Amino acid sequence: MKKTMFWSEKRRAYLLLVFPAVLIYWAVMAFPTIFSFVLSLTDYNGGPIFVRQAFSFVGFTNYLRMFQDKFFWISLKNNVFIMGISVFGQIPLGFLFAYVLHRKLVKFGDFVQTIVYLPSVISTIVIGRLWQLFFSPYGPLVTFMQKFKPGWYFSLANDPQLAIIPVLFVILWMYTGTYLIIFLANLQKIDPALIEAARIDGATEWQVLTKVILPALSGVIVTASILAISGSLKSFDLIYALTAGNPARRTSVLALYMYDYAFKHSPKYGLANAIAVVMVLLSLVLIGVVKITEGKFGGKE
Amino acid sequence: MENNKIKKSDFHPFIRFFVFLVVGIFTILTLYPLFWLALSSLKTTTEFMKNSMGWPLNPTLQNYPAAWERAQFTNLFINSLFFTVISTLAIIFLALMAGFAFAKIQSKATPFLHGSFIMGILLTLQSIMVPLFLAVNLVGLYNTRLGVLIPYVGMGLPIAIYLCTEYIRSIPDSVVDSARIDGASYFRIFLNIIVPMAKPVAVTLAILNVAGTWNEFMLINILVSSDALRTLPVGILKFTGTLVTDYGRMFAALNIGLIPMLIFYLLFRKQITKGVAAGAVKG
Repeated sequence: MKKTMFWSEKRRAYLLLVFPAVLIYWAVMAFPTIFSFVLSLTDYNGGPIFVRQAFSFVGFTNYLRMFQDKFFWISLKNNVFIMGISVFGQIPLGFLFAYVLHRKLVKFGDFVQTIVYLPSVISTIVIGRLWQLFFSPYGPLVTFMQKFKPGWYFSLANDPQLAIIPVLFVILWMYTGTYLIIFLANLQKIDPALIEAARIDGATEWQVLTKVILPALSGVIVTASILAISGSLKSFDLIYALTAGNPARRTSVLALYMYDYAFKHSPKYGLANAIAVVMVLLSLVLIGVVKITEGKFGGKE
Repeated sequence: MENNKIKKSDFHPFIRFFVFLVVGIFTILTLYPLFWLALSSLKTTTEFMKNSMGWPLNPTLQNYPAAWERAQFTNLFINSLFFTVISTLAIIFLALMAGFAFAKIQSKATPFLHGSFIMGILLTLQSIMVPLFLAVNLVGLYNTRLGVLIPYVGMGLPIAIYLCTEYIRSIPDSVVDSARIDGASYFRIFLNIIVPMAKPVAVTLAILNVAGTWNEFMLINILVSSDALRTLPVGILKFTGTLVTDYGRMFAALNIGLIPMLIFYLLFRKQITKGVAAGAVKG
């Protein structure tokens, strides 16, 4: 009898402690995910949803329409570019900075770290507007270049084909610091005695880097890649403030593409939710790929 | 320790020069735009159009009160502060509660529930912004403070619960067990033992969430349309978008938006970097 009472108090405590967090989290994250799948099969375009004829089911029409839209593919391509600049730009650069700071190859390491991470703490809206002004006709880039080459001109809206490049540059600039912090924290976990022993055995710094440090960080590199890959689908705020996807929607990304369908002109919620579903699936696939790669090539931590 | 230091001859001078160059360029690329922003905010629009790069000839602070008033910064600051403080407190408290249950009270539900939060760390919130907007509308919370706070708490919980569970797991079981034997209820243990002991993880969470919520733009932009509920990022975006030619006030507004986070960062630099490193976990 006493035992059951004990057990039930335990069970009640567990439920009460967990319930509020689970309720809010499921309402905010799980419910909309399922909701979006249902809506993606409809032609719902706003208004009260529980009335007769608020919407009708249209099967996979929204998906077909999306896959036939060239701006979907342009947006997806830009997400892939962002993934590329994250994995092959931010991660190596972040590692380089962390290594340089950890091994004290430059002076004022603390100062450099503070500066490189600084963009990550400033509002992306302020950053987006600041770089928009920086690249504007009155901005430093044009003014500076015109000193050497009168008549030189540049604008974010200049060339639709190349418009994504300044965006990628700002993204690289903004988030390299995050990887610097991650790599530095993990470099500091490597036992200095390990490196010392290798040095005493006559290993060069390069050998220490490739044979001791990089293998020890392989797990962290995988973690950083997961962050970078899943992060690349998150791009929204910065581009919204910097170019709003223009010129001619050439710098759009999936999140912005979805936003345009839901909030610009007359809402097309069915289509917007089809994009949402594709994005969720995409992020799950990407995470799965990284996990499998991780299992194959072993990342330990 | 001496052996641990690099001997200069080890790296080719070209490589060392290259490294130095990359670090230098990156540092300048961060400092210069901010410096340019600060300088430009001290110029009138007329002066900026003539002299966009140089030192201000007649430095003036007049842009600041003008921008402050037109963009209603008092209101924006109050709202940003409100959403940041309330959601941060709620996240920490709820995450400590759930983390304590996951870590110290055995239950068959833990792997599933805890796992669902871990999934949330990797789920891109951007992908559900439209369904979330529709869901908030559905329950009639559009354009209300609660309609912003609930999503903020929900999206902050996954990483918070992960960190709290890990941290509370590291507290020895015997601490909880001996209190149980003394007859303390789980709530007493939570309030009197776990909460005081979990202060370090609470600080990390507070810093991560303050930075995140203060700068949050995507959700507040779609969940709220009235001026009275706007926060700094939305207000600044709207203000700088409508005044494309009023450069002086635009720079001042951007600077007003930038300074609080700059101060926060310089004050809590160590804790922020620690929090980021701790938050970057494997999913």
